[in-house]
Amino acid sequence: MAASLTGLLKPWTPRVLLVRWSRYNPYYLEPGPRKEVYHIPETELTPEQKEERELKSVRPIKAATNSVTSSVFNDPVLSKFVNMMMKDGDKIIAKGIITQTLENMKRKQVEKYHKAPEGKKAEIECNPYAIFHQALENCKPVIGLTSIQKGGKFYQVPIPLTDNRRRFLAMKWMITECRDNKHRRTLMYEKLSQELLAAFSKEGNVVKRKHELHKMAESNRAYAHYRWW
Amino acid sequence: MLLLAGPCFIFVAKPTEQHLGQYYTVPPSHFHTVFPHGLPPRYQQQVKTFNEGCVMVRQPALELISHLKRADYSKPTLRYLLYGVKGSGKTMSLCHTVHYCSTQGWLVLHIPDAHLWVKNCKELLPSSYHASRFDQPIQASNWLRNFRTTNEHFLSKIKLRQRYVWTKRESTEEGRPLGELVDMGVSRVKSSSDVVGAVLKELRLQAGGTEGGFRLAVAVDGVNGLWGRTTLKKEDKSPVAPEELTLVHNLRKMINNDWCGGAVIATLSQTGSLYAPSSAYLPQELLGEEGFDSMDPFVPVPVSLYSEKEFESCYLYYLDRHWLQHPHSQTEEGKKELIFLSNRNPSVLERLCAFL
Repeated sequence: MAASLTGLLKPWTPRVLLVRWSRYNPYYLEPGPRKEVYHIPETELTPEQKEERELKSVRPIKAATNSVTSSVFNDPVLSKFVNMMMKDGDKIIAKGIITQTLENMKRKQVEKYHKAPEGKKAEIECNPYAIFHQALENCKPVIGLTSIQKGGKFYQVPIPLTDNRRRFLAMKWMITECRDNKHRRTLMYEKLSQELLAAFSKEGNVVKRKHELHKMAESNRAYAHYRWW
Repeated sequence: MLLLAGPCFIFVAKPTEQHLGQYYTVPPSHFHTVFPHGLPPRYQQQVKTFNEGCVMVRQPALELISHLKRADYSKPTLRYLLYGVKGSGKTMSLCHTVHYCSTQGWLVLHIPDAHLWVKNCKELLPSSYHASRFDQPIQASNWLRNFRTTNEHFLSKIKLRQRYVWTKRESTEEGRPLGELVDMGVSRVKSSSDVVGAVLKELRLQAGGTEGGFRLAVAVDGVNGLWGRTTLKKEDKSPVAPEELTLVHNLRKMINNDWCGGAVIATLSQTGSLYAPSSAYLPQELLGEEGFDSMDPFVPVPVSLYSEKEFESCYLYYLDRHWLQHPHSQTEEGKKELIFLSNRNPSVLERLCAFL
């Protein structure tokens, strides 16, 4: 079947093309780097998984990007954060800053843990990944604002946000906050670890910015009906 | 292979072969006295984070300690050289041996990194004692301060055997305690390099003595820096050779085996070295011809990467100290991945576990 259809896999571009859309023919499947999926024996597969496996044996698969690994320590949210922090394509520096940040956060928390009395030890969170995810959750706005034109004037109208947009806003605010509001001599990883620890306990400038957005949306409630979608 | 149920902590000052792979805790009071300088910076951070200092008992350190126990101290000094790939634990083995020597009551002369004396020197003064040599006041006074902290109790016991004249008005008489000389070197920064030379000479003369005899351990990290090139320049921009530095000249005299009553323990280091390729780790490559001829004969002590048992022990230690926090790093899969990524290299493993 594959042999007859390869004639159809000509270089194909959609009619409307944006700059960062993928050039792959939609016939290609996504790569699946997780090892656990392939270790499940034949008997324990659900019908959907069986179908997927059959499809994979016939259809061509897209090439995996460099940032995707089959390592157990691979975290897609963290990879997205590293990409957003990257400047001029220098992923090594960005990844280095993030690893230093995680190490710094862990050091502070483990030091506190070892010095705390027995009763308080269980409350201290030492896992830097858990702190990072929780801090990002605490920074995500629930509702957003957009500019809609009505009768010649532009109004700030509250709108619901998709998950991706919320995650993007949280990461963007975190990075801009750490870049702008720090002392000249503080290094990025130091400031980032301070901000993440503050966001974890719902303090700090990024969480304040989220609250201000919520307040603006609340105050502009009257214009909510301007949204037509 | 004996799998330990958890990382075992032992408190004896004298580790034996049974304790291979286990961690031994250095009492916190010793850290400021025995190690004011000399510990690797990442290890110092680890001590601060875990609120305790644990050193793994490994084969090279045990070998060194057994040599030191059985050596004949009436014969000329034996020189031991620790060598190995980058990150295999040479400095930590040296520190373990230094701690052993200080618990046994030896006088320890610990030079944390000989490379610091041949590069990045802001002030290079021409020496007053010898016309063609150069002094390094800052490095010498720092080292004397740390030496004073390490060997407080010896400073009052050792008396000088010679009169030293510093300037027209200042001199130190015979019979004065060594502590006075060291204090003078710390306060008068200009003559501190000459003071270092005087201290080394006195210790060399008195180490093997029968009355009030003490044993002298000279521990030098990065000994290959003494025989290479320097990055320092004279005022007319010509390079300075290591022989032209007073500190290096006196230290070389110390490393010669023409005195008795102690031991010289040295480590090679590529990390801070100048003009040496990063893949070089053998004594011949790093010391060069001149260095190898001066160090010859020496007892080579190879330091290898972690064995399976040592890796297990390190992994369990990090788990016990709550350092490995990633949920996947505590599984078998994660452990296999750590072995693969680090190749059992101690420093690489430490850096990996830092952010996991």
